[in-house]
Amino acid sequence: MVKRKVAALEKVEADLVNLQYKIRRDPRSYAQEFYDQWLAYDAQRQIFISSPSTVSSEDIKKFHDLVDLVAHVADLYPDLTAPYPDHLKELLNQHHATLDKELREKVVGSLVLVRRKDVIDSTSLLTTLFPILITTPSKSLRSLLYTKIISDLRESNSKSTNHRLNRTIQTVLHNLVTSDRTSTKGMWATRITRELWRRQIWTDAKPCDVMKEACLSDNEKVVVGGVRFFLGGDKEREDLDDESSDEDVNIKKVKHQGTINKKTKKRQKALDKAVDKIKRHDRKKHEPHPLNFSALHLIHDPQGFAEKLFQKHLQNTKNRFSLENKLLILQLVTRLVGLHKLTIISLYSWFVRYLTPKQLNVTSFLASLAQATHNLVPPDVLEPLVVKIANEFVSEASATEVCAAGINAIREVAIRQPLCMTETLLQDLVMYQKSKDKGVVMASKGLQSLYREVYPELLQRKYRGKQATMGLRSGETKQRKFGEEEVGGIEGIELLEQYKEEQKRRKREEEGLENGDGDKKEDDDEDDEGFHSDEWEVASTDSDSSGGWIDVPSDSESDEPAKKRQRKGEEDADKAPELVDTAAELNRISKLATTSILTPADLAKLEELLREAKIDKALGRTSKRKKELIDRHIEDGVTADDIELPAQLGKKTTKEERVALARDGKPGRDEHKSTQAIRKSKKEAEGKSTTNKEKARKKNFLMTIGKARAKNKRSLVETSKSMKMHIARSKSGGRRKNGT
Amino acid sequence: MGSSNKKKKEKKKDFQKAKLKIGKAKAKAANFTDTSFKAKSIVVNQQTLVTDTSDTAEQFKQNLSLAVNAKADNQRRDALAYITNQLSANPRNNPLGTSGVLTKLLPLLSDGSASVRTQLLKLFRVLVPAEVGPHVEKVLMYIRGGMTHLSNDIRNDTLNVLEWLLEVAGDETASCPGGWLKTLNSFSSMLGWNPSVGSAMSNKGWTSAPRATLGTKKGPEAQARQIQVLAKFLQTGFRPEAPIQYSPMAYRDNIYRLPGMPNPFAYLNLFGTPRDEDSEMYPDRISRQRVFDAKWRAAISAGMEGARKEGGTVGRAAATLDRALSAGLG
Repeated sequence: MVKRKVAALEKVEADLVNLQYKIRRDPRSYAQEFYDQWLAYDAQRQIFISSPSTVSSEDIKKFHDLVDLVAHVADLYPDLTAPYPDHLKELLNQHHATLDKELREKVVGSLVLVRRKDVIDSTSLLTTLFPILITTPSKSLRSLLYTKIISDLRESNSKSTNHRLNRTIQTVLHNLVTSDRTSTKGMWATRITRELWRRQIWTDAKPCDVMKEACLSDNEKVVVGGVRFFLGGDKEREDLDDESSDEDVNIKKVKHQGTINKKTKKRQKALDKAVDKIKRHDRKKHEPHPLNFSALHLIHDPQGFAEKLFQKHLQNTKNRFSLENKLLILQLVTRLVGLHKLTIISLYSWFVRYLTPKQLNVTSFLASLAQATHNLVPPDVLEPLVVKIANEFVSEASATEVCAAGINAIREVAIRQPLCMTETLLQDLVMYQKSKDKGVVMASKGLQSLYREVYPELLQRKYRGKQATMGLRSGETKQRKFGEEEVGGIEGIELLEQYKEEQKRRKREEEGLENGDGDKKEDDDEDDEGFHSDEWEVASTDSDSSGGWIDVPSDSESDEPAKKRQRKGEEDADKAPELVDTAAELNRISKLATTSILTPADLAKLEELLREAKIDKALGRTSKRKKELIDRHIEDGVTADDIELPAQLGKKTTKEERVALARDGKPGRDEHKSTQAIRKSKKEAEGKSTTNKEKARKKNFLMTIGKARAKNKRSLVETSKSMKMHIARSKSGGRRKNGT
Repeated sequence: MGSSNKKKKEKKKDFQKAKLKIGKAKAKAANFTDTSFKAKSIVVNQQTLVTDTSDTAEQFKQNLSLAVNAKADNQRRDALAYITNQLSANPRNNPLGTSGVLTKLLPLLSDGSASVRTQLLKLFRVLVPAEVGPHVEKVLMYIRGGMTHLSNDIRNDTLNVLEWLLEVAGDETASCPGGWLKTLNSFSSMLGWNPSVGSAMSNKGWTSAPRATLGTKKGPEAQARQIQVLAKFLQTGFRPEAPIQYSPMAYRDNIYRLPGMPNPFAYLNLFGTPRDEDSEMYPDRISRQRVFDAKWRAAISAGMEGARKEGGTVGRAAATLDRALSAGLG
């Protein structure tokens, strides 16, 4: 008798994978089979539920496979598998601690799969996974759940923002942080929020609120998580944005490869993908830039928050956080104070204790102090601190680094509030430019040049410099009083006006009008000084090149041109030098913005002009320090490096350092070898092929000799024919016809 | 030329003899592979070789674990045979009790090897019938799992086990939670007489999908057997209960005595999860009849008619089923 052939599914090791494949291809025909397996799943589930802890490994395996099968086809039989998600949820909720590891992963994976097939919605998935994430003791499960939660949130926000889901989850996180302030569970809230913030999925105020609550928690870890978010979250977000835009595909290269290599489906797919990516990238480029506020700006009630943070974690003597974490909190508090111009008077007296050279991480404290200073801090609060820094740090006896750090710190404070200085102290500090150490000299000169700009009366006459003395004599340089604010305007508006005027004039010229009619336009203007537009131009360029004066050294600032000064005033209002505002200029500023409505085209042009102006600056028409100030944004805050680095200026590098610097980025040289050889061996090690030239050079002589001999024996006709062919070929782009 | 010189040198290198030196270890061969490894613990994946014949209880346990865990089919079968012998000996030797043996061996119902399954059935047959009663619910779970298994052989062998269970503890089988409706579900899916699935799928188009593609291959004998067992199951379910003898103490016993059976208030389902219609228990004949009437009568009679028309063994089995039905419901 012939042995009957056994069909695949009839074998005892009948595989569910095969069945799954068939079901998915033809769900209607295999409904009966699926129903069987559904019953089998149900039976296995019963077996499992009846005694989850003692169930045999074979049963677990069977159950695992059936769960997998049902998850993959659940969307095809919605009526039958309606209770399936609930089964999985129940299983996870009740037995996640005792479940077999693989089965547990499968259950989580199936639940996510069912979600992706839109059998359940995100909210129900996340509300199932989230409580388990917080309670489970298993590390592997936690990491699994964390990644699943993040990816699900990403996915459900990918097409359009799912506000409802976000709101639900944010509320859950908020409650998690606020419900039990002593537990570490808040960590998960901070981690999830930070990740989603980084990916720009959450950009509104609610996540900031969650983080704010985390900062006010009692648990050190949670607090640090929240604080780090505010200090670094936005930077992270930007970095990720840059990274994603960096990875560009070389479409030309891919296309070229497509012409050379064998045509396969895989290669075609790669090309399609690359094209798609380029398209997406282009589309993204043309999209309006998403307006993302930094987390620090989105905080609700910054004054209350900063006060609470300060009182709870810093002022409270019972607080036992480590110094490092306290410093982080201090950074956040001072950053908030500086950014929002808050008033926390007790903060400054708190600083006194920490301003000694022996204090650990004292530069961070100094930086924080500078950060906490703004033009609305009363000078009499700051004065004792400045005096203390001067006494503790700045003396002939102290180490030069300490001295330089002290002067730098004082300068950083004085930039923000020039009124904190007394005359005698400043004179004393300025005298340090006679020191032998370069760092100290630089620091001292920096302080001097700062006061030349902002408050020259405080300097001794011989230190004032020409510009400041001139300014004082003419009355242009005026000392601003405490609390006095600069008159504001639109950044770069005068550039726009200038541009518009030019355009108008050009138009008139084209229309055949005389250039001298410029004053016709001036008549329209409300200021009745009525001078020529040409004179206007002359006046502004005059200030630009500062007349016929000799070149000025970098540390004594040249007078800024009016247009640039205005911009700077916007950026760092408290750092700005005294303005030399004439009444005419003031009028001019207010005119355009008040008399006409700026269209989007105007604004775009304004932006362009600003950029040009900035480039002009970057090309070296202004001093180094000023450029630095322009680049630095007020939101960046002060770091310990800002205090420490200037002290390193005069330091000479050792020979080892120089050698290491020179070696950096060069190939390693273990043996004596030529650079070419090193490169070649590196190429070989990377598994790259040789060029055709190299191959030709390496080719065995005996293989080439035959052709060479034959070439010699050719007739004249043959030679000319091959020459012609060669020329024709080179014209048509080689054997591959690359040119056509 | 240069390259051939190089090749010559390379060739020479292959046949050079390594110099041996006194006091130094021999150089490792070029194809030497380091096989040493480090491990926190070593798991010996083998059975113990010692067979201590003196302690029968230990041996029984060892065989029990062998029956479940051994990789080789023959070893599992032999272990089952040993246990069968021990259980059928006089006096019977069962250190774990029926419940222990059952919980260990039930997963073997869907074992891959046919010989193991037949041996398992033999083993079940020598168990004490009265002791199987309390575990019927659990056995039924595995039976239902086996009845819907992908492999036909396993399905058929599971039917044998169900038949045994009906003989040993028929009443409990029909009346335990889920015992009635869920088992009927499995039967219907096995036979392809499924009203819910069929209608749900075939209504959507003008062609009706052919019946169970996997099921068609199982041949008429298998189907006949399934119908027979179904008939037996229905017979058991519809068997009229014997009237309880009047005893004057029954009332007082009910109130004051400890109940004689495990879980006497199972029908109240005090501590379990809430049951749905399928997993509800139907403790008496009338409730079973009612629910059968409502859910399965139409489907099963329709399927039965079809089977009768086929004739042959299937037709004969269908006739038996018809008789059982008319006796049970009539």
